[in-house]
Amino acid sequence: MANQNGVMYGLTIFSPIIDDDHVTPSHDLQLREYFASLPTGPESPFAQAPFTHLARLFVLDDVVFVGKPSKEEHLKSKYLIFESNFDGDLDTYLMGLVRYAPEHVDATWSHCVGYPGIADAAAFVRYMKACQLETTFYFAAVNSQTLTQTLKALQTQRLVAEFIASHQASKPAALQHAFAAFLMELRAQPLPRPGRATIERTLQTGGHNE
Amino acid sequence: MSNVNGKAYAMNVVTPMKPWKQYVLRFLFFLLRTFKPLQSKLINLSFIEFARWAIVPRDSFPRLSLAQEKEELSYDYLFFFSNFNGTWNQYIDAFSAVLSTELNLIWRLSEKFPGSVPVTPFKSYITHVQVDTDYYYNAYPNATANDVKAAVIVQDAVDELARKNASLSPQQFAEAYLAFVLQVQAHLGETGEPPVAC
Repeated sequence: MANQNGVMYGLTIFSPIIDDDHVTPSHDLQLREYFASLPTGPESPFAQAPFTHLARLFVLDDVVFVGKPSKEEHLKSKYLIFESNFDGDLDTYLMGLVRYAPEHVDATWSHCVGYPGIADAAAFVRYMKACQLETTFYFAAVNSQTLTQTLKALQTQRLVAEFIASHQASKPAALQHAFAAFLMELRAQPLPRPGRATIERTLQTGGHNE
Repeated sequence: MSNVNGKAYAMNVVTPMKPWKQYVLRFLFFLLRTFKPLQSKLINLSFIEFARWAIVPRDSFPRLSLAQEKEELSYDYLFFFSNFNGTWNQYIDAFSAVLSTELNLIWRLSEKFPGSVPVTPFKSYITHVQVDTDYYYNAYPNATANDVKAAVIVQDAVDELARKNASLSPQQFAEAYLAFVLQVQAHLGETGEPPVAC
């Protein structure tokens, strides 16, 4: 299935935005204002709900006219496009959005035609699927790792570098003992929160583009 | 508008296509999906985290209510969504330099596509057909695609050494540890804030 690549799922949703002359500001503008105020770090609704690696939302005002001799044409509706890269299956993911980020789901899709609300999560899943478009070709650079595994691996990578740097001249017995302690420390580490910068960099290299 | 989050850039490109061409393009993507070696250049462009093309036929834009006006389009549309590391210019330059043949095969089917070489008209075209992102979320903003690949290698190596550890004498462990360090040393680059272009 073209929507999937390994454990990754490429979700593409086009939701028509309500066109109502009596609403000011218009629904598309309200959406843009909401997105502008939405946090992008650990407080993001996509960090609260599980499984999202990268996701985007944007309003498609119209299709693009590329110049003559092609024909100029326009959309009758504006569309909210939701593009997400997550691990797992679609139903679980959408249910997770409703469960962990209900205010966000409501604040976003209540501006769209046919949105059923979140009181009935199954109805929301059906609505999203009605708005889903099949991906024709999906590429994932790393397609074998869940979000949890990816965050854990990035944490391990940093801690391993520190361990190696601090045990360069250790004797074999001490090294083995330290490694065993390191493994226990590694397992006890809390999982980094998604959306969070991994580490504050202390090394200053300077220069315009480093 | 936020096309950038940490080290990732979100690109959206929308191009019109004559309807009959979607079948040619679907066949090209089928080949690309089926014969993995054809993806090698895409994989080697190691700054792409996720990318997708979606063909949207002119009568396939979702219509959720009879009150919603039906679209009356004469073109099908090709949507390209990419999540890449680095700057827009670096990305387009690399695409043009490394993937020109493949990109031409895909986008030549779109109206008025000038070709990916020379790069100047290619960049003008992409600028014209690009739509900005309103909200962009990245679960690991300080890590690039290469950082993730490297981290997975380190994690696998740690897990392997951990499995062996209990059965090794200190001397044997020291040898295994040295092999481990040699294996992971090229994959320990530090992640951190992206450079600020001034």
